[in-house]
Formats: sequence, structure tokens, C-alpha cells
Amino acid sequence: MIKIDRGPWREMVNHAQAVYPNECCGAMIGTIDGDNKTVSEALVLDNVSAGSQAARYELRPEDLLRADREARERKLDLIGIYHSHPDCGAYFSETDLKNSCPWYSFVVLSIQKGHFDHANSWLPNAEQTEAQKEELIWPES
Amino acid sequence: MARILIPTPLRQFADKNDTVDLPGKTVGEVLTALTARFPDLKKHLFNDEGKLRSFVNVYLNDEDIRYMKKDATPINDPDTLSIVPSIAGGFDWSSRG
Repeated sequence: MIKIDRGPWREMVNHAQAVYPNECCGAMIGTIDGDNKTVSEALVLDNVSAGSQAARYELRPEDLLRADREARERKLDLIGIYHSHPDCGAYFSETDLKNSCPWYSFVVLSIQKGHFDHANSWLPNAEQTEAQKEELIWPES
Repeated sequence: MARILIPTPLRQFADKNDTVDLPGKTVGEVLTALTARFPDLKKHLFNDEGKLRSFVNVYLNDEDIRYMKKDATPINDPDTLSIVPSIAGGFDWSSRG
């Protein structure tokens, strides 16, 4: 289960709506207790995908390295990655899967006509062949 | 000797350590020492052919080793090795409703 606190959730939704109709991306930082993850901070990161970003995102590994260092300095953990699907459902696409990493939770926000609609969290496997849905709790859910 | 920063989800395979100091004169030697000490880590970092998984990047301090000498990149105490994934994605136009 992954629970997102109000502050980071607002940051993620605002980010996703601000960059609409493009995709946004960022990192989620917080604490892990067994299978229970709590996101206490969202880090807005650049989408560096070349070409149109309406249906693509890419993170700089250097930005993830920085996010991990920031988390360590605060005695927190890098828990996952978020990104948006403009005018599309919060499913885990084939492109998401083929470019994923099994170590983190992947939260997808569906933005419909510029406004948040719904979200899901996914746990991809190491072979990048499938992703399991993870229970996701956000403030208004 | 190098300090390896273990990503949170992999610490369960490294006796819950968030950092590990290991000997080695090159990046390859240090990574070999890492999986020798924590064998359960190996399948998370390397594929069946013994190569780093496609989404795994290794940084020596702030530099990606792919742009240095890869596994042969020399280690100078007190270097830090970080394991950082490549992540991208996006939806398929055909699924847009």
C-alpha cells in the first residue's frame, strides 16, 4: 500500500495540471514500513524526453541520484516515481513497462481536459513484462 | 575501497545496509565484491548473462561509468558508487479514450 500525504499530493496534481497537455514526472520521498509506504514529499523533476512530451516522459538519472541523496540527508527513502497521462487513463502502458524499474512504486495520474481525474500505483516486475496494481491512498480518495 | 549507496528497495537484500564499504581497484571489482557479499542482490542488478540490467546505471561520484571506462573505471578512496535506474514512459495513443 502506498499513501500520499496532502502536501505532496497537491504538488503532484498541480504539477500534472500545469504541464498539461504534456506529461509530467517527478519523484516521491517518504518512509517505508514493511509493505506500507507513506509519501511525505514530492520532487518535481524535468521531463527530458526528446520531441513531443504529450505522450512521453523521461527522467534524467542524475536527477534521480539527486533525489536519492536528498532523501538520505533527511533520513527518508526514495519511494517511487510519478507521471501523468494527459486525456488518458492511469494504466501502466507498454512504454511505461519497457522503461520501468522494479524497485519503485509508479504512480500514474490521469489528467482529463486539464484536470485531475484518477490515479493508480503500479509495481513492475524485473523482466519489464507486467506490473501489479498497488493499493493507492491519496487525501481525497 | 569504495562506498556503495544501496537504493532503499534493495536494502532488504543487503542485510538492511544503506551503505556498504567494499574493496576494489575498479568499479567492476567493487560490484563483484558487492554481489559476493550479498548474493541475493545479483539478480536485481545483473541479467542471466551477467550484464547489468538495462535499467541499471552506475555512477562513480557524479559521473556515469558508461562515459568513463565502464567496469574498468579506477576507484580512488573515498569514491562513492551509486546505483541509479533509467526511467521513462508514456501512454499509447491507441488507448486514449
